[in-house]
Amino acid sequence: MNQKQLKALVSDWRVAILIILVLLSVIAIFPHVDDQGKIATNLQYGLDLQQGAWIQLEFKGEVIGFTTDEPVETFIANLSKEVDAEVVQIDETHLEIRKFYTREELEPLFETAGGKITSYNQGVSKSTADTVKRILESKINAMGTKDAKVNTLTGFNNVARYIRVELAGVDMRQAQEIVGKQGKFEIRVQTTGNATEHVVSGDSITSVQLPTQEPPGSDKWGVSFTLNEAGATAFQEAAIKYGATTDPTNHYLLMLLDNETVYSAPLSDELAGQLQTQKIRQLFASTGVGKTGSNQATQLEIHLRAGALPVDVTIAGSGGTSAPLGERYKTMAVLAFILALITVGFVVYYRYREPGIVLPMIMINASELVILLGFIALIRFQMDLPTIAGLVAVVGTGIDQLVIITDEILHEGKVPSPNLYLKRLARALGIIVAAAATVLIAMLPLALMDLSTLKGFAIITILGVLVGVIVTRPAYGRIIMQILSR
Amino acid sequence: MGLINYNIEKYSPQQLVVIPLVLFIISLVVLAFTIVATGMPVTPGIDFSGGTAVTIITSDSREQLQTTFAGYPLSEISDMNNGKFLKFSSMDDTRYQSLSQLISQKYPDAKIDQIGESFGKSLQSQAALALIFSFIGMAVVIFLTFRTFVPSVAVVFSALADMVMTAAVMNIIGIPLSLGTTAALLMLIGYSVDSDILLTNRVLKRQGKLNDKLTGAFHTGMIMTSTTLAAVAALFAVSWFGSVQILMEISAVLLIGLVADILNTWLTNVGILKWYVQKGGGK
Repeated sequence: MNQKQLKALVSDWRVAILIILVLLSVIAIFPHVDDQGKIATNLQYGLDLQQGAWIQLEFKGEVIGFTTDEPVETFIANLSKEVDAEVVQIDETHLEIRKFYTREELEPLFETAGGKITSYNQGVSKSTADTVKRILESKINAMGTKDAKVNTLTGFNNVARYIRVELAGVDMRQAQEIVGKQGKFEIRVQTTGNATEHVVSGDSITSVQLPTQEPPGSDKWGVSFTLNEAGATAFQEAAIKYGATTDPTNHYLLMLLDNETVYSAPLSDELAGQLQTQKIRQLFASTGVGKTGSNQATQLEIHLRAGALPVDVTIAGSGGTSAPLGERYKTMAVLAFILALITVGFVVYYRYREPGIVLPMIMINASELVILLGFIALIRFQMDLPTIAGLVAVVGTGIDQLVIITDEILHEGKVPSPNLYLKRLARALGIIVAAAATVLIAMLPLALMDLSTLKGFAIITILGVLVGVIVTRPAYGRIIMQILSR
Repeated sequence: MGLINYNIEKYSPQQLVVIPLVLFIISLVVLAFTIVATGMPVTPGIDFSGGTAVTIITSDSREQLQTTFAGYPLSEISDMNNGKFLKFSSMDDTRYQSLSQLISQKYPDAKIDQIGESFGKSLQSQAALALIFSFIGMAVVIFLTFRTFVPSVAVVFSALADMVMTAAVMNIIGIPLSLGTTAALLMLIGYSVDSDILLTNRVLKRQGKLNDKLTGAFHTGMIMTSTTLAAVAALFAVSWFGSVQILMEISAVLLIGLVADILNTWLTNVGILKWYVQKGGGK
């Protein structure tokens, strides 16, 4: 190929796009030597290619479709007593029970409360799941763990049953300590004697401030926190109903973490007076004076902020990879790519015996891999072992399709005229598009579902197919035409 | 391809179809037996049935491992290149905590994955749904592509036969159905139709003698399948060498599936297509 032809080839837009994308991808991957003299890239690794741990938690609650002849508020209040747990209305016909019951156990309870069950799904509503997600995230951040992901897995029916936490750089024991010790936070009010009644749970707390002195400079410590609208209403109602506003000293307010009292105090006279007439969203829990007061305030802040989950969870699954194994898997993945490219190269060489065809094929194949990796680096996708398998499969089928193009064009052994060439290229691309569409459709359910690690694999496979059909195959068609018409 | 002298011309459609059909029926029987035994067509692995999988790098013998984990429901030890892959059946939380402590003490470099029973069940039903949707989606694409009944059915049936045969072989050689192998089966749905589409396209849309078209398609199709086989074989070799259990399972399933695909494309699909064209279908 002389220079003129090469120039014509590179300036063809299909080939130009390919070259530009490869260059951009290399920039996105950014291979460089890091401070320790090791080769590093911008690629992100999932938990089986580096040290890390994952924990999947299952919500101990259920979302119930219901009907009732009673006014809904009365019914929910009744039901809440029957099930001895918080009941939250999600929409007109659905409610969430924050305690685990089977449908069979619930049916008589619903009957007593004056309603009927129309549907039963284990899990919690999306908004509750998001609350749990936020709490877990803030808890993990407070621990100083850098690389953490928390995902709720919501099904088709908008009920979230699981939440998955992925922590890079920690082992499973540490992860369990961070996530496993879940506190359930609750504010209760003393009714008579030692009996108490539920007021609000942790998810009613919208924000928590740092420990402060109130008034400033007085060395009297405490934490102020804010309740949401509903929480403030519940707080005022309960305070009035159980007499905490009129007789504060006999009706303490208690904060419980995992059913253990972490704070207990009466309403201040000032607050008691205000609550009689209005609801108050900004509350201040005082913890005392001096060093002790300040320490307790810090502790209370953590309890208020992060210790609390509105619903119980159990560990549904967990796992972890050690640093040396992660390193080894990474090495193996690189080896697999290199070996795959080499063996594929041998097979096509065996078939065509023409370096002029084989080299562009392998180059195109490798460039496809580079573009995909560039994309993966760009979207900060975490590669894991199934993704590696998907990438290797992309190599295999990528070559397949280049073979289809080559064979269609070389049909009857002769290099065709440009006109016929384009017709054949179009036909080859037709076959390829149909094949690509089947792979795409086959992977779509996985990409949309939440089958833990398989989602990434499916997305990468789909991306690989798209890059192939849109960018690399048309470019290959051009390149091979130049080479064959030499 | 010089090595393979497969003369499609020589055989009648009935002769072509008979071998894969017999294998298909045998495979169905294998799957039926597995359903009776385990409730699923392929024996579920811990991803779906719940349990704990542990990869350790160790030179300890089976006996040593059995003594180490005597207090736990150790159900399987498999050898890997330079380590062992252990499976435990489901246990309660406290038991599991003590197991993970024991492992992190004795084998700090281990990889542990634990799946609870109910979580596994929900993964299982989702995986089944994914497989069904994928297959239906693939069939729809095929019918839209060819818009003729018999050739489309031939492609879809070949893909189904691929899956069924692969699943049967998985049962026979003991590869469990896990998230990874489900992914491999899904990949097969997509990839196994590659060569079928090429074949059908060549036969229905090209001019020329049927036998020439079949031979041409065979040459191209075989090289396609061999390149994929080569890439997957490379993955298998590396994952065996490096003891990467999940990649080993995925690549093994793909290898089986690709071999089944050769059979079903060049016997089943060719047979049906040949019969269709000889009956006067197509052009």
